[in-house]
Amino acid sequence: MGRSYKPQITARERGKLTTQLGVAESSVDSEPTLEELRDVIDSGTDSQFATMGESIRSDLTGKLEGDVLESAISDLEEAFEGAETVRETGVPARHGPGDEGVDELYRELIDPIWDAYDHLVDVGLFESLEENLPAFTAEHIDHTAREVVNADGLLDDLTDCGFDDRERTALLLTVVDNNTRLSRWVPTRDIPDGVEFNVDYVPPLYHRAIGGGLLWIKALDRHLVQKEILLTEDILDNAFWRTKAILGGVYLFLRAVRDIATTDGELTDGQLVAALSAGAAITIVNMEELMQEVFWLHEEKRAPSSAR
Amino acid sequence: MAAEDQEDKAVKAASETIVEETDLGYQVFNAPDESVLDQHDTDRIPRFDVTQEMLDEGSGDPESWLMFANNYEGHRYATADVITPDNVDQLELEYEMTVGANSSMEGSPVIVPGDPPVMYQTNGPSHVKAIDAREGETLWSYTYPAPEDAVLCCDDNNRGVAVWEDKIYMTSLDSGVQALDRYTGDELWYTSTADYKEGYSATWAPIVYDGILFTGSAGGEYGVRGFHCAIDAETGEELWRMHPCPEEEYIGDSIKQSGGTNWMSPTLDTQRELLYFNVGNPSPDFNGTVRPGPNRNTCSTIAVDIHTGEIQWSHQESAHDIWDYDSAQMRMILRDVEIDHRDYEGDIVYNAGKTSWTYTMHPDTGDLLVRGEPITQQINFMKMVPHVDEEREYVMLPGLLGGQDWQPSAYDPGTGLCYHKVLNTPHSVKWRSEEYRPGEKFWGGVVDVEPDEEDVPDDYNGHISAIAAVDPTTGQVVWRDWIDSDRYLWGGTMTTATGLLFAGTQNGNMVAYDSENGERLWEFDLSDKAIGGDPVSWYDPGTEKQYVAIQVGGSGFVGRGPRGDRLAVFSLEA
Repeated sequence: MGRSYKPQITARERGKLTTQLGVAESSVDSEPTLEELRDVIDSGTDSQFATMGESIRSDLTGKLEGDVLESAISDLEEAFEGAETVRETGVPARHGPGDEGVDELYRELIDPIWDAYDHLVDVGLFESLEENLPAFTAEHIDHTAREVVNADGLLDDLTDCGFDDRERTALLLTVVDNNTRLSRWVPTRDIPDGVEFNVDYVPPLYHRAIGGGLLWIKALDRHLVQKEILLTEDILDNAFWRTKAILGGVYLFLRAVRDIATTDGELTDGQLVAALSAGAAITIVNMEELMQEVFWLHEEKRAPSSAR
Repeated sequence: MAAEDQEDKAVKAASETIVEETDLGYQVFNAPDESVLDQHDTDRIPRFDVTQEMLDEGSGDPESWLMFANNYEGHRYATADVITPDNVDQLELEYEMTVGANSSMEGSPVIVPGDPPVMYQTNGPSHVKAIDAREGETLWSYTYPAPEDAVLCCDDNNRGVAVWEDKIYMTSLDSGVQALDRYTGDELWYTSTADYKEGYSATWAPIVYDGILFTGSAGGEYGVRGFHCAIDAETGEELWRMHPCPEEEYIGDSIKQSGGTNWMSPTLDTQRELLYFNVGNPSPDFNGTVRPGPNRNTCSTIAVDIHTGEIQWSHQESAHDIWDYDSAQMRMILRDVEIDHRDYEGDIVYNAGKTSWTYTMHPDTGDLLVRGEPITQQINFMKMVPHVDEEREYVMLPGLLGGQDWQPSAYDPGTGLCYHKVLNTPHSVKWRSEEYRPGEKFWGGVVDVEPDEEDVPDDYNGHISAIAAVDPTTGQVVWRDWIDSDRYLWGGTMTTATGLLFAGTQNGNMVAYDSENGERLWEFDLSDKAIGGDPVSWYDPGTEKQYVAIQVGGSGFVGRGPRGDRLAVFSLEA
């Protein structure tokens, strides 16, 4: 059997997921699929989620260009189809100096997103989310996870992008299993005035989440080439999975934004908030994991040196 | 006549200037309102241009030390060969000078050859003098009027001048470059490179090549965006400006406080016409959540076209740094190196970082050819820093001073080894985004440079610092001399063609090592003050002596030692 980049999910993590979703372990299999969980969780929508979603739609109606978003999502789905060749290649080839001399593997995966990202920056989407969405409190994350599982289309769409049940479960786990970590990423408005750095220069939370995730992936081609002597197959596995996970988060996020742009959206207002929040949370957690697993290559992690 | 016997207005102005830690960092008080120049026997300075040819020759000329590292490649290698392992025990103190500032003494004097050789020596705050290097007498001295509202993260350093034709150039604490007539000390032009009121400052020795002066930026601890610029050495006109951190690599306005300053001298590859820059940490130092992404080109080496300022490549040592692991050591270019296990033969770019790793890079791409074994211990290393709310101690090693900090390293082409002064100091770090607390100068976090003993990991070996030799082709630490003290090891090293390594210690000793095996061949107790300066050496045909000079004293604040203001010059007759 060849190598697998697939994320590992422990029994403890599965238990935590069912607990967080309010599901009694006795009511599902020991390794329940997301569909099984969906069947047994409370499908009620939090009224605050609905209010927040309504405000966001109201803020952005008429500002978003559906074509730009549709194109990004469509191209991203296409990119996902061939994504595993990136892992098979491993380290991009170098054929000249600088970034331009490095083959684009990871950069190609995010290439479909930039136009939509720039558009979202231009129309002030991230400022609107900063205004309307709360911090990543434990309560907000709990509601987010339930709404995401409940929304038929969201997780199914990820299936269409090549995420199997284990991968989708892993994405959901990054949301429910990281309350403390996510709570450190505070909305800019919650950073007190007079803090040691200039708060005016701190972008909105959701902008930091989505943009930050993309920047980490953008850096990977060069990083892998320059640090090739330090790399192991595990590091390359992690690079690919964390990239795929970040893109899964971005996909959920864009999928929600597209819903705002269309007149006949498929998501309820509550589901809209959940998809935005889950998308951002997934990018945050996975960019931090990518950083630790792939960029911080300390002595215990690196491939041995052939000189010593 | 020694300098302390001379009545010197510029020295007096510098010595009356006070540097104190305030809520905003370090600030300069009681500096003169206007520049002060005092001229003595300026006719003694031989009148001739320091040509580009002389600068190109660098350490090839044993009678000179014409720039911070003695050559563009950053070697700090002296070809004068009077002092050898066999006679170094006869090295004697030729003269001492009290330079008059009791301030930061981190610089490398520059020696222009002639009869007599003339030394240009700087120290904080923004003070420079021309010295008859044979007699130890001040010929002119100059104090720049550092403004009181300039803020400095770490000290009022000035690490030396650049010299070219009939001028010398000194950076100033208000983020400028002051050009002076090297014969008289008269002001020629001044160029401000940034607004010091935003937190920018300048402390390093600039370099000049082909009539272009290169100067960078400091102030990362104040949330500035780093830059480097090229200036016409004749007129002071800015030719190009480069920002190490590209706008498209940052989220929104986080670019405006990106950090990524370049606060030590760059290294120049005259063959490729590339500058290799050392780049500092991102800002704020410890709270990374407000600046997501790798924070490209912070804590990096960047290679830049000298004519356009365009970045050709970059190599990052600490992506999304949250430990203040900026990479400040002046890079080295080593020619025609063989790396057997990589089947590589050619030039390399080399440095060590605060990470305590050494990096051997391909000069055309920045790709790693070798990453060396750690020079110091690495404990709790490259892990997430706890948030202040977690209320747990996170003691990391290296601490935020490294590893290899700014201390200039040296290379010996005879042994093929590079020599580093490194710190093996544990520091406690937490991050936060809370209300600013006056008196705490680090940003986005809380640092304890003296953590409680019970919080220091058991496997810490207790040695605060070391001087170490590293083979850049394998990354192996070939020898290491642990040096213990309650102060930090500061200042640089120097190699000689005869197989010696000179270094000052924080305990006030000047030491000469056998550069091949690290044996201490000679020691001289200079002072109870730490030696923060970088040794330089030259041969004077007029006396047939080889000299070794070093500045004694600070950096007292960051280095934790008492401040001093001495220049010591040793000699040995051929």
